Amino acid sequence: MLEVQDLRKEFDGLQALDGVSLTVPKGQIVGLIGPNGSGKSTLLNIIAGTIPPTSGQIRFDSHDITRSSADDIFKLGLARGYQDASLFFQMTVLDNTLLPVKQQRGEHPWYAPWRRVWNAEEQTNATSASQRLSQVNLRSHFNKRASDLSGGQMKLLEMARSLMGSPKMLLLDEPTAGVAPALALDIFRHIDTLCREAGITFLIVEHRLEMLFEFTDSVYVMHMGRVMAHGTPEEIEADAAVREVYFGE
Amino acid sequence: MNIDLTATLIALLTYFGIAALMAISLNLEYGVAGIPNFGQAFFVSIGAYTAAITYTRLLPLLAGQSFINPCGATLAQALQLRSDIMRTMPAVALGNFVITLLIAAVVGGIIGYLTSYVILRLKQEWYLALVLLVGGETVRIFVRGYEPVICASNGISGIAGPFAWIGNTQAASILFALLVLLLAAATFWYSQKLVRSPFGRLLKAVRENEQVALGLGKNVARVRAQVMFIGSAIAAIAGVLFALNLGFVSTNDYVVNMTLDVWVMIVLGGLGSSRGALLGALIITVLDRLTAITAIQFNRSGIELEFNYVRYILFGMILLLVLRFRPQGLLPETPFTTPAHDHLVQESANA
Repeated sequence: MLEVQDLRKEFDGLQALDGVSLTVPKGQIVGLIGPNGSGKSTLLNIIAGTIPPTSGQIRFDSHDITRSSADDIFKLGLARGYQDASLFFQMTVLDNTLLPVKQQRGEHPWYAPWRRVWNAEEQTNATSASQRLSQVNLRSHFNKRASDLSGGQMKLLEMARSLMGSPKMLLLDEPTAGVAPALALDIFRHIDTLCREAGITFLIVEHRLEMLFEFTDSVYVMHMGRVMAHGTPEEIEADAAVREVYFGE
Repeated sequence: MNIDLTATLIALLTYFGIAALMAISLNLEYGVAGIPNFGQAFFVSIGAYTAAITYTRLLPLLAGQSFINPCGATLAQALQLRSDIMRTMPAVALGNFVITLLIAAVVGGIIGYLTSYVILRLKQEWYLALVLLVGGETVRIFVRGYEPVICASNGISGIAGPFAWIGNTQAASILFALLVLLLAAATFWYSQKLVRSPFGRLLKAVRENEQVALGLGKNVARVRAQVMFIGSAIAAIAGVLFALNLGFVSTNDYVVNMTLDVWVMIVLGGLGSSRGALLGALIITVLDRLTAITAIQFNRSGIELEFNYVRYILFGMILLLVLRFRPQGLLPETPFTTPAHDHLVQESANA
């Protein structure tokens, strides 16, 4: 599904990514871990098209997306979540959820003033948004401003919002950061369900290793801008070098 | 005291309608979409210059007359021709007016559309404010020194409203005021519809976080260009009406002060709120007229105080007080709701 080959990124002489290669097979949940500053977020930003790489190649669903723009990458079906929930806080929960729907007629300024033209489509979208929100227990909050949700609910809303664009794959940057443990488990269960039932592929950066290891098929470990290890959660847990850089053991 | 109340009221309503158009335009651009357009006077001037060009070149053509250079030696002759046509040929006067509005809207829109691409090259959108401020002023100075547009610093006079042929000056100005108010009302209606649609939702998303909007597959550059097209077209229409109302086009009117007045209107009314833009336009227009009348009265009574400057102090104070005590404005933006919300409320009720 996603193939990253020999990706390099240099920021003002600092080698943030130093030849990273990784593969995320279709329908799997792959974890990405590493100490702070190891290049995880930079990697996600480059894959999502937010910043360009210095060199290397990224292929997604047999498209070369190395230099594609963020909006084009999203349209191909690769959506991303942010470390701190990046919602449109002044907008309602429902509007946040409706925004990513592709090719809305009402988003065109020619059609926008004529409600007749887009109303039916908007209602269909609202119904599917309502279902997405129900899945993450936010249906009853649809009329609230996003800023009025709790931290965990914001993360869930962000996920529901990503799903409205019918993605094939989600990149998640610490989906449970700042979330109570019970809700964090909930978030991972949602991810697991989405993977198994909707066939969505995941690449997840996460610091809650016990949870990540429980739900992932394989894990990449990054250190100093490189992939230092790759394997099943069990293999990674047993890897002495990983334990040294990650846990200082 | 000798004030013609009817004439004052007509003038007030006309000014209000024009100010409302400018405020709705800037509210769409900055209030709703977050594009800090500090070149509002420039976009308004595009409409005024368009009027100057069509009234000196297109009008004689429509009337079947040959073009007379409106500047220099033939100035008086050209002025006489314009005035004769507008007084005696209603169809030509009205036709020229409509065509002027259309050309101004299209030209203003296109320039606004192109300007929006400047944003892409700037690291911060507030730099755009500076670019537009300086760019607008540069164009103004160019036009002031370049004869073919509006006879350079002389300006173009004798640009009458579309109803000059009626003969009765007051009736013509009442009709013009009504026309301006009608255009302002239609624009308000259009802007409300636009804001309460998925397009409005998209604009607000871009305003709040363009990176995330981009990450959700939205073409942020195009959306900005679209709203700049619409906003600038409205500003240019306001510029045509402004010029016709004065009957005179000069570069001296389209200065930074005009831009700042419109900013005070939308901040006072409530950023992002179309109704707020109307209210802001009304309050500022009334204050503007009151200070102008007071200044005239002071002048007549021989009081040595240039009261016109009081308005700048007044508007500055209003801006500061609003920002300090009611930053959301008098009629704040309501949380956006499309019909989708009603649909879900209905869905919940049915369940």
